[in-house]
Amino acid sequence: MRTSTVAKAAAFVAFGLWGANPVFADSTGVTDSTIKIGFVGSMTGPAAIWGSGNMAGATLAFEELNAAGGVNGRKIEFITVDDETSAPKGIAGFNRLVQSDKVFAVFGPSSSAVGVPMKATMASSGVPVLIPSFSSPLMTEPPAPNIFRVGAINDRMQGRGIANYLVNTDKRTKIAILRQSDEYGATGAGAVGDRLKELKMAPVANEVFNAADTDFTSQVLRVRSANPDAIVVYGYPAPSAIITRQLREVGIKAEIIGSSATSNQNYPELVGKIGAGTKFVTTLEHQPESDFPAIKKFREAFQKRFPDLARQGRPALGDTLGYAGALTMIEAIRQAGKDLTREGYVKALESMDGYETGISMPTHLSATNREGNTKMYIAVIKDDLTREVLPGAIETK
Amino acid sequence: MDILQLIANGIPAGVMYSLVALCIVLIHNGTNVVHFGYGDQITFAAYLVVIAQTLFGAPLWLAIASSVVISALFGLFIYLAILAPIRKTPLLVQVIATLAIGTALREGMRAFMGPDPWPFPALVAPRIFNLSGVFITSANVAAVAIAVIITVALFVFFKVSKYGQAIIAACENAKGASIVGISVTKVFASIWIVASVLAAVSAILMAPVVTLSPDMGLIAIKGFCAAVLGGFTSLPGAIVGGILLGLIETTAGYYISTAAKDVVAYGVLIAVVIFMPQGLFGKAQLKKV
Repeated sequence: MRTSTVAKAAAFVAFGLWGANPVFADSTGVTDSTIKIGFVGSMTGPAAIWGSGNMAGATLAFEELNAAGGVNGRKIEFITVDDETSAPKGIAGFNRLVQSDKVFAVFGPSSSAVGVPMKATMASSGVPVLIPSFSSPLMTEPPAPNIFRVGAINDRMQGRGIANYLVNTDKRTKIAILRQSDEYGATGAGAVGDRLKELKMAPVANEVFNAADTDFTSQVLRVRSANPDAIVVYGYPAPSAIITRQLREVGIKAEIIGSSATSNQNYPELVGKIGAGTKFVTTLEHQPESDFPAIKKFREAFQKRFPDLARQGRPALGDTLGYAGALTMIEAIRQAGKDLTREGYVKALESMDGYETGISMPTHLSATNREGNTKMYIAVIKDDLTREVLPGAIETK
Repeated sequence: MDILQLIANGIPAGVMYSLVALCIVLIHNGTNVVHFGYGDQITFAAYLVVIAQTLFGAPLWLAIASSVVISALFGLFIYLAILAPIRKTPLLVQVIATLAIGTALREGMRAFMGPDPWPFPALVAPRIFNLSGVFITSANVAAVAIAVIITVALFVFFKVSKYGQAIIAACENAKGASIVGISVTKVFASIWIVASVLAAVSAILMAPVVTLSPDMGLIAIKGFCAAVLGGFTSLPGAIVGGILLGLIETTAGYYISTAAKDVVAYGVLIAVVIFMPQGLFGKAQLKKV
């Protein structure tokens, strides 16, 4: 506890002093005609579910920008590195982008398992990093001067939001939690439990599962014994889909709500008809398959640019967040002006208060806040396996 | 009542492990190679069904038939192009080769079909039977039934048919078998083909239940455990080992702790390796010194 407090205090002092640090007032990676942006993310391995999308979305955004003449007269040179869902490779890739390729700023990484171990390296480099998707709160707690997240919502906030929704909106009183055994599940589900405690409640069951498991009978039956009226499933899409099916197969009728990892477009089909009525967290007011004009325009451009990915039913959540994150990055570069420096870029990010990409949640950053989004929506899988976002964003702070 | 539900679900969960274990044992018995890429071969076969349906618009029966045929050819390819040329290298080299096959298949599918899980068509219409409060799904019934049929068929094949006897002879003494006119190359190739056809059958049973994704093949880790439990040389042992593992996992998770589920399952495995290294159905190895 003491060590943690001291570490946090040191981080805040460093954060406070950072503004005067001349090291950041540089234009590395910037020429009269180009800006080098690096991407490090998981294009292979299990986290490619997010990384490949982040890269594809950002590629589209930067190509569109370059085709339109660039930003402040400069075109983006996008250099990508695959971390293979491995933290050591993520660190090596980041160092390569910074030291060899000498990029101006970095976009990514794309998963908590890779990103969290990279944080110290990223923070000490001073190179501005914009995270477009993954949700570990450790990336912004304590905040590092050069690391920002936009679009996604962190697991601590998400957990609070889920508890708030179930108790205050849905009036549930007997809530069970099924969580993945890793840091992702522990943080998110832990936040649900913490918020329930604040609301003078306790989960009626709290069960753990491994992401690679294929049978969840013991967890499901323990939950059934607790007779809940709502069940939070905090895990990745594949195990969450099996759990949702198994919960229904043993006759449990309680409301099921999944974390934002289950907000991918093909999740309803993974669960099947038995999963109709299941809810999930989403940070997109309009899902990638919707006909909302900005989304439709993005979807058509994406599918034209990446026909091979369109065949896979994309764009998906990772693609959308990648595109939106890149638009936010471009806007900050634009606001930083013709004399582009890392310091100016960071200041431009900090000045964003409500910037909208049209397809993701508005970005609210400041000199002391590195978490661009604090709101989420609840959506539901309908009987025909389409998805409907329920009205009203939920504030999670 | 929960104990009955645990058994009703634990057996089909274990059958999934058994199907993997069965073919790992089959390949090992036949060729001495432990195929660490077998789980990914199952995943590949499942993706073949999805590819046939989504890219070529094939009906389910044709997609399944295509998957079975391509899997068989792929098994033959693995043997002829990769494992036969290195048959005389140290066993470790062959094991590494199977790992490479698995990784190439997994990442190839991730690149070609995307990293997201895919919905997989159910072989039987999804139904839930309520037997006095014990719920059983049609997919689980189908998996258990087909696993039993496969085991019986393999057992009869090896015990009764001439070709099965020839395979056993070639496995036990390749040189002796070739002297009496058995083509060892043909025998080994046929084992790879049979195991690969079974990979397609397993895929069709597994994918609707455990969700198809590039990482579905990780279930093979449990398949290896089941094979070790069963003795690693016994086909019935592989089936029993898988079912036992499924039952141990579900009951330990329910009665002890869901967090301890794997600890107990792997603890039992370690205990078996220490105290019964030949497994439940394997033969004790005697060496003259």
